[in-house]
Parts: sequence; C-alpha cells; structure tokens
Amino acid sequence: MLNRILAIMRREYLERVKTKAFWISTLLVPVFLGAVMIIPAWLAARGGGDFKVGVLDFTGRFTEPVRVELGQMLERQTSTTADALEETGVVHGEQAEAIGEMAEESLLKLDLVSLEPGADPEAAREWAKEEVQNGRLDGLLVLPATLPDEGQAEYVSPNVSTFQMLSVLERAVNNVMVADRLTSAGLDPEAVGDLTRRVDLKTMKLGAKGQETHDQGQGFLVSYVFMMIIYMTVLMYGIYVMRGVLEEKSSHIVEVIISTVKPFELMLGKILGIGAVGLTQFLLWSLLMFAISAPGAAAAVGMGGLELPAVPAIQIVFFVVYFVLGFLLYGTLYAGIGAAFDTEQEAQNFQGVITMFLVVPLVLMMYILNQPDAPLSVALSLFPFFTPMLMFLRMTLTQVPAVQLAASVVIMGATILAAAWVVGKIYRVGILMHGSKPKLKDMWRWIKEA
Amino acid sequence: MNDPILEISNVSKRYGEVTAVDDLSFDVPRGSVFGLLGPNGAGKSTTIRMIMRIIMADEGTITLDGQPVDDDRRRLIGYLPEERGLYKKMKVLEHLVYLGTIRGIKPGEAKKRSLAWLEKFELGDWATHKVEDLSKGMQQKVQLIGTILHRPQLLILDEPFSGLDPINTRALKDLLKAMSDEGVTIALSTHVLPQVDELCTHICLINRSRAILVGDLETIRRDYGGNVWRVTSDLEEPALIELPGVVSARALGDEMLVELEPDRGPRQTVQALAAHGLESFTRFVPDLENIFIRAVEEDRHAE
Repeated sequence: MLNRILAIMRREYLERVKTKAFWISTLLVPVFLGAVMIIPAWLAARGGGDFKVGVLDFTGRFTEPVRVELGQMLERQTSTTADALEETGVVHGEQAEAIGEMAEESLLKLDLVSLEPGADPEAAREWAKEEVQNGRLDGLLVLPATLPDEGQAEYVSPNVSTFQMLSVLERAVNNVMVADRLTSAGLDPEAVGDLTRRVDLKTMKLGAKGQETHDQGQGFLVSYVFMMIIYMTVLMYGIYVMRGVLEEKSSHIVEVIISTVKPFELMLGKILGIGAVGLTQFLLWSLLMFAISAPGAAAAVGMGGLELPAVPAIQIVFFVVYFVLGFLLYGTLYAGIGAAFDTEQEAQNFQGVITMFLVVPLVLMMYILNQPDAPLSVALSLFPFFTPMLMFLRMTLTQVPAVQLAASVVIMGATILAAAWVVGKIYRVGILMHGSKPKLKDMWRWIKEA
Repeated sequence: MNDPILEISNVSKRYGEVTAVDDLSFDVPRGSVFGLLGPNGAGKSTTIRMIMRIIMADEGTITLDGQPVDDDRRRLIGYLPEERGLYKKMKVLEHLVYLGTIRGIKPGEAKKRSLAWLEKFELGDWATHKVEDLSKGMQQKVQLIGTILHRPQLLILDEPFSGLDPINTRALKDLLKAMSDEGVTIALSTHVLPQVDELCTHICLINRSRAILVGDLETIRRDYGGNVWRVTSDLEEPALIELPGVVSARALGDEMLVELEPDRGPRQTVQALAAHGLESFTRFVPDLENIFIRAVEEDRHAE
C-alpha cells in the first residue's frame, strides 16, 4: 500500500516540478519580493540629481536666506548617509566605499538662480516660465510679495514628481518663513528651534527572554509578507489538487487507477505529492532569497538606512508547520470538490465557499493587529480554518503561549483527519459520477452511503 | 470445464429503489473467451465494477481462483474500464511505467516490458512523446498495454471495441485471440454482438439486471438453432413442406431455412431434394444476434 501511495506521490510531484510554470513562479516570486523590499528604499535614496531652480522673489529679501538654508540641509544629507553607513556596521572596507560612492552620486544638488522680478510681476512670471519651458531651468520658485504673513510660495515645473527635491525645497522655504515670523515677533529662531525639537519614539520589541530588539515595524512587515505567502500558497496548491482531481475525472483515467489502488490512497498520494511540490518551492525560494539577500540587504541599508529584520527561527518553523497543516486541510477540501464536479465552472460555487474561509482571516487581520491577546483573537486563531494565518500573525505580534501553539496544531490535526474521512467518502463516489451536477443533498447522501 | 477462474454467486446491487444487478450468478471458465452480453443499461458495467471492487456488491460473493476477490487479489486481473483515458501530459513510456508500478511491478521491469510491447505495437518511436501527441488509435493501444503489463491470467474488458475503427477492432481481436491461445482467460462485455460472435466461447446474457442465458456458446447455438438446415435448391416454400420430415420452411436471403421434425436426421430430406437441383444443405447455426433477440423477447413474454 505504501509503495503505491509513494508511486502516486512521485508522479504528482514530478509531473508538476517538470513544468515551466513551476520554475517561472519559483524564480519570479523572490525577484518580486526582493523588488518590493529593495525598490522603495532605492527609490527614496534615488531622489537625487542636479536641479537648477529660478527664484522670482517679489519680497526681494528671501532668496539669500533660502539659499543658505538649502545649503545647510544638503550638507546634513551627506553626513547622514555616511553616519548611517558607519552605524550599521554591516558593510566594511571596499564595500562601504562603493556604497558611499553610489550614495554620493544619488545626492541632491540644488542651484538657485535669482531672477529679476522687474516692474510687471505678470510679465516677469511669463518670461520665467518661458525659461523653464525652454529647459534652461528645471523649475521656478515664486515667492509672492505677501509672504511671510499671507499667501503661498509656488513651484512651477513640467516635472512635479521629484519628491525629494520638492520636500527639501519646501522645508527650506518654510524654515526661512517661520524664522522670519519669529524674528518679527521678537523671538530668537535658534532658541525656538532648540526648544521645539522633536522627540522620536524608539520602538523596541520585547522578546520571550526579555531581550529588546530594535524594531520599527520591519519585523512585522516581513511577518505580514510570510502570512500572505501562506495564504497564497495554500490557495494555489489547494486549487492544484482540485484541478488534478478534475483532470483525472475528465480524462477518464480515474477508473483505471482505482481498479488498482483504493480511492483514498489515490487522494492521499495526490495531496501529499502536491504538498511536496509546495515545500520544494519554499526551499528553492529560501535558497534564492538567501543568495540575493546578502548583496540586496547591503544595498538597501546603504541607500535607505533600512535595516533588514531577522525573523526568529521559531517563526520560520511554524511558517512551515502552518503551511503544511493549512495545505493538508484545504487541499483535502479542494480534492472533495474536484471529485464532486465535472468541470471547474460547475465547481465554482463550492470552491468559492472554501476560498472564503481563506479570505476571512485577511479581513479579521486588523482586529488581531490591534488586540493580539484579546480572547476573541485567541479564539479566532484557534479556529482550524483560520489558524495557519491568524496564529502565525499573532506569533509575530505577541508572545503566544506554547500551550496555544500546541493546541492549534492538535486541533488542526484532528480537523484534517475528520475532513479526510468525510471527503474520502465524497471522493469515492464522486470520481465515478459524470453528468448531473450534484447538490449538497447528494453529497450528504454519498457520505451516508459510502 | 469445471475449473472456473472467476465465480459470481448471487450478486446483487441496488441504488435506492433501482436494482442494477439482481441475484446474478455465472462462472467464467478458465481459458475461455467469455462474453458478458446485454442491452445498454442491463447491468454489465455494474457487474464488472463489482468484480473489480470499484463498487461494492450489496449481496453475493465473487471469487478468483476460488478465493474471494479482495484489494490485493483484484490486482491479478487486467481491467480495461469502459471509461478509459490517460494522463495527457505524461510521456508514453513514463505513463506505462507508472501504471506498472501501481500494480506492483518494479520500475525497471515495467520499463523493459513497456518497451517490448511498444515495439510490438509499432509505437517504439513514440515512447518519449506526450500522450496527447498520439492519435486516438495509438492511445487505445497504450491503454491496452497498461492493462496487460502485469501479465494477468484474467483480462476483463468493458466494451473494448467501443470507439475503435474497423482496423483497430480487427487488431484488438487478433491480439485477444493470440492472448487466448496463450491461455489467458478473457471476459468482455459488449452490446454489439457481431463483434464478438467469432471470439466468444462462453456467454452470459444479462437483461434487466438478471442473467437470462448462461453457458458455452456451442450448446446454446444448438439449443437455439433447433433442427434447422440451410438449403439451396430449386424448390420454394410450398414444395419444401411436402418433403418427408419437414415441419416448416422460410426464406433467408437466397437460401431456405428448413426445420425438420425433432430428432430426425437429414438423410431422407437430402435424398428427396437431390432430384430438385440441390446445391447445398448445411446445419443452421444462429448467430449471437439471433439468440440475443430471441432470448430478450422470451424474457419479456415471461414477465
């Protein structure tokens, strides 16, 4: 019996691993994940470039202060990057130099060109716009005469998505205006600056053994990505099981097979074989991620100052455990649906019901995020259909007691056995049924009679 | 003949109110070519599926070589279901090896046997092609190889000729004859009788869930044929009836069918016909179709 189940598993496994689709998804997902993690950091750092901005200063006195303020801010930008690099200690020697050079290149340079406002403001503005249009200037900063008490500074440019430059420019203008108002009110801008300095919140995650780790939410971000991977892979591989069963039915091979092996052996071999494909994919993903994460992390740190968080080993273990349990549960249910119907179209309604159980945890996520230890959160995460995602989510948010983890595994195990028992009966009858689309009532009869 | 390879005893199967098979009993003699005949819906496939334990009989016993068929013993049978197919994306040789391994053959041995059979069926060049690249006829051959790969002593084929063109029908018949000559027992079901008329040595005729005619075909033919002879001569019906011993006469194509009194030999009749341009005088052997229709009609009248 074991030999036959192994033969079935082997076929299911090899037939899928040999497909192009498997290798494409195996290669694309890490690239996609890497891109999601690295590109924002890269883009943020990549806001640099040379900008030549004309200033139409109708107040006649702010061009210079803005230029000075800008100079100071750009100076700080350089030192921050260097400091960040040093602080992390991730990169050393040549690597640090290379990244430093990259950072140098990506720095922002802003030249302010003072334009003559002239007698007619409208005419001056039109002329300045012309200059921008011709490409002699990248943008035009307009400081109306009513500043700093009223009105707004304006920035005119064909390209208004140069976010970093805009934010630097905006902050420089703002600082100058505020300083001017403070001075008018008889206050010392520097003293005020000192007094109103921001205090940032440093978030430390408290571990099980009392250790504190610096965490600005990246840890959660990675856990969230892992949870989504559980969701997507359980759904994807579950539907593979359903399609596999439907294929055996529609190609009529199923009767040939079950004249030799028991229907339950066929179902089991199929589910386990496809599950092994999923685990293989995880293994390849983690190898690929490891291969690209070393240079990728260095680049991300160098450019954005983003730390790549370490995921605790226990979470990795439970990630695999919950994928396996989740897949066994949903894979079994999808197998039953595949057996009961002739085509994917016919199966759609029932498939939707099962998929709902996978989607509901995504909806409940916000509640769990805010109150991971509330009784309702505990109960929801122990509900076997939600456990793979919600218990995993709670693990990343709080210290889930070991007894709850153990309970979740036991409850899921029992649910899987019960599902296999019920679905086994539907499967046995269903795979030989062709033609009429069965209703819930029919399936109930199959369970009772089989 | 008292050595049945397969014994079906008092087997019944009901689906709710519907009786699919009703108290069915028959033996398949070892070495025979056994035809399980009957109109569509008579219960042939249900019976075969019960033999293969794809569905379970409500009552009765089924034995193979005197032992009840269980999940292990059923693998000794080569079974070709009516609903048959292959994994379209698999390569031909890999598919056959898979079918072999789930029947308990070692992969190396399964590969060797598969290649030998593929050569024999002139499919050697297709071994590494995907099943979906093969024509329907070729797929049927692959299917059949998968059925006989484990060298079964009993082959059960459910409607094996359905969907085959005349050339492939002929090829399958030749193969079945060859296997029968090697001592393999073959049981097949069909509702198209001329296809198996020349093959079968024994039959079981099922109608409305019950067996209405079981036995070896020669005996059945004699019983159903009666004392009837096929005659070619100058005489037509009225004149023939005047001859000694003749009970009735009717035309069958160019010939006349002449029924003699029971237990009466043909000698006197032949002598009488000699003066009337007698060309041929042979015993009438009813074909399966005649027997089938008569048996089904008698069964209906018996109701």
